[in-house]
Amino acid sequence: VVAMLKCVMSGSQVKVFGKAVQALSRISDELWLDPSKKGLALRCVNSSRSAYGCVLFSPVFFQHYQWSALVKMSENELDTTLNLKCKLGMKIKRTHNICFQESQPLQVIFDKNVCTNTLMIQPRLLADAIVLFTSSQEEVTLAVTPLNFCLKSSNEESMDLSNAVYSEMFVGSDEFDFFQIGMDTEITFCFKELKGILTFSEATHAPISIYFDFPGKPLALSIDDMLVEANFILATLADESSRASSPQSLCLSQKRKRSDLIKKKAGKNITGQALECISRKAAPRRLYPKETLTNISALENCGSPAMKRANGDVSEVSENSVSNTEEVPGSLCLRKFSCMFFGAVSSDQQEHFNHPFDSLARASDSEEDMNNVCRKKFNGSDAKYFCII
Amino acid sequence: MPLLTQQIQDEDDQYSLVASLDNVRNLSTILKAIHFREHATCFATKNGIKVTVENAKCVQANAFIQAGIFQEFKVQEESVTFRINLTVLLDCLSIFGSSPMPGTLTALRMCYQGYGYPLMLFLEEGGVVTVCKINTQEPEETLDFDFCSTNVINKIILQSEGLREAFSELDMTSEVLQITMSPDKPYFRLSTFGNAGSSHLDYPKDSDLMEAFHCNQTQVNRYKISLLKPSTKALVLSCKVSIRTDNRGFLSLQYMIRNEDGQICFVEYYCCPDEEVPESES
Repeated sequence: VVAMLKCVMSGSQVKVFGKAVQALSRISDELWLDPSKKGLALRCVNSSRSAYGCVLFSPVFFQHYQWSALVKMSENELDTTLNLKCKLGMKIKRTHNICFQESQPLQVIFDKNVCTNTLMIQPRLLADAIVLFTSSQEEVTLAVTPLNFCLKSSNEESMDLSNAVYSEMFVGSDEFDFFQIGMDTEITFCFKELKGILTFSEATHAPISIYFDFPGKPLALSIDDMLVEANFILATLADESSRASSPQSLCLSQKRKRSDLIKKKAGKNITGQALECISRKAAPRRLYPKETLTNISALENCGSPAMKRANGDVSEVSENSVSNTEEVPGSLCLRKFSCMFFGAVSSDQQEHFNHPFDSLARASDSEEDMNNVCRKKFNGSDAKYFCII
Repeated sequence: MPLLTQQIQDEDDQYSLVASLDNVRNLSTILKAIHFREHATCFATKNGIKVTVENAKCVQANAFIQAGIFQEFKVQEESVTFRINLTVLLDCLSIFGSSPMPGTLTALRMCYQGYGYPLMLFLEEGGVVTVCKINTQEPEETLDFDFCSTNVINKIILQSEGLREAFSELDMTSEVLQITMSPDKPYFRLSTFGNAGSSHLDYPKDSDLMEAFHCNQTQVNRYKISLLKPSTKALVLSCKVSIRTDNRGFLSLQYMIRNEDGQICFVEYYCCPDEEVPESES
């Protein structure tokens, strides 16, 4: 069962759409197309699960938007084609048939609205500032006080003597459309995703909002336009000096194909397994190489059917995990990017609107989603990013 | 350049080929359009010079620089043939810089004494003369594609801008470029079949880009994309391109290139089709 999608865009719409794809391509080579009645969502998550991007185009963005959820397809048929047709000027017609795989999109469980620091700025201003950084810049540090905004080369990279250029760029608070700093904060995050969303927001002419808390907690870059809504969630570097601040808070889970996954695993008591994963937080942590486990395998690996608390809630999970991080020994906190929790993309999200942790990831089918929330930890000197799935 | 002319005047008779040009870029630009291999074979007759580059015994590019392009053009024998390192020749031709400086032209005098002798280049810009001697090599036999206009089945003339983007964005993960030419829909179609999927580019016959459309019979042929990709060099310089296929599926691409003085030159690519005929198995 797959969704059918047909959308038509004019030249200027294609331009915006293309910029969105370009921005997302900085995160990952693979892209989810996730159509629903709310519009077409494009989603990406990088391989280390430290960056996530989602751009939602509302149905009115398109000249024509047609979507239907249920088109029967044989289960084994993995490769279908995505058909992109473009009519160019001078009557040339381009058709691209792109192979795709059916899979379940993820989304981050992260509520940007509870962040203590919120900034809103015209993308042009930031883009002008960003050209000052060298192309080799991988990470940037954002330092804010209630009066000042400073974007600079990351401290970590500036310690490297081979890096000859160290840049700092200050923007006065009056340059911002909205400037709210709850506490002095210095966070470090990857640069390339920021560049991507900036070019995209320039194309939409919409201001860009930045939401963040403390080092280690993810940062959200958002565009909220009538027609397009974009959220890029980036892990930030956990601060070695302030390890008490709980770093983990981005989580992932996977959209399941209810129809087959649930059926297939009916006998295994999935809910029980999921809860076991959650409860394991308190148990000794395991080291997982970051790429070994896919969501599904992680799911299957963790848990016995012994635990049964089928009505548990996703929010509970993320709260637990946050409180738990204080147990992590300080030595392990050096140089790590925070993790993300990812939640299932659901079709009926409305009923969870009031949920405190639902702003980005709304767990719809609680039964399914519970399965998907489990934790992995990856600590190591050379590991900059680690993730929770 | 009276000094230079005087100096060499007496020696002129001993050369089997003498050609001079006020603007060297009128030659170098055309040669760049076929520069996809290191070596080239040059044929000079009283009509002009033809420079040929080949690859894999499957593709051949010819650049024609007719005698009229040169300010002076003398060939003593019926035809003069030699092989030369094209990369070195182009480096020498652009020894005063490859991008044009406003108001300054590089003049060229090119002399070849005959079999076994080097090709002599005298380049002059602003009173400075550079002399280059490039060793010539034993000429190799070039392919005869036997592409005869009487056997042409389909022929299309397009404005080059219509193909430029298509060729620069070709999906190089595809092994072949499939060209469909037909009197019926899709008229003219370029297709690739790469790792990520397939792409089709359709040009209707009433497109503004279509200068001429003479297709008699539906032909679907595949050509190695790696062999055709180098023709992009000629495409970007050209204003029009003629695409022809003959009864064997051989492809001829003729590019019309206008030089800085407004003169017309031609570059031609021949390519043989991939043996595997599409859909032969089904």
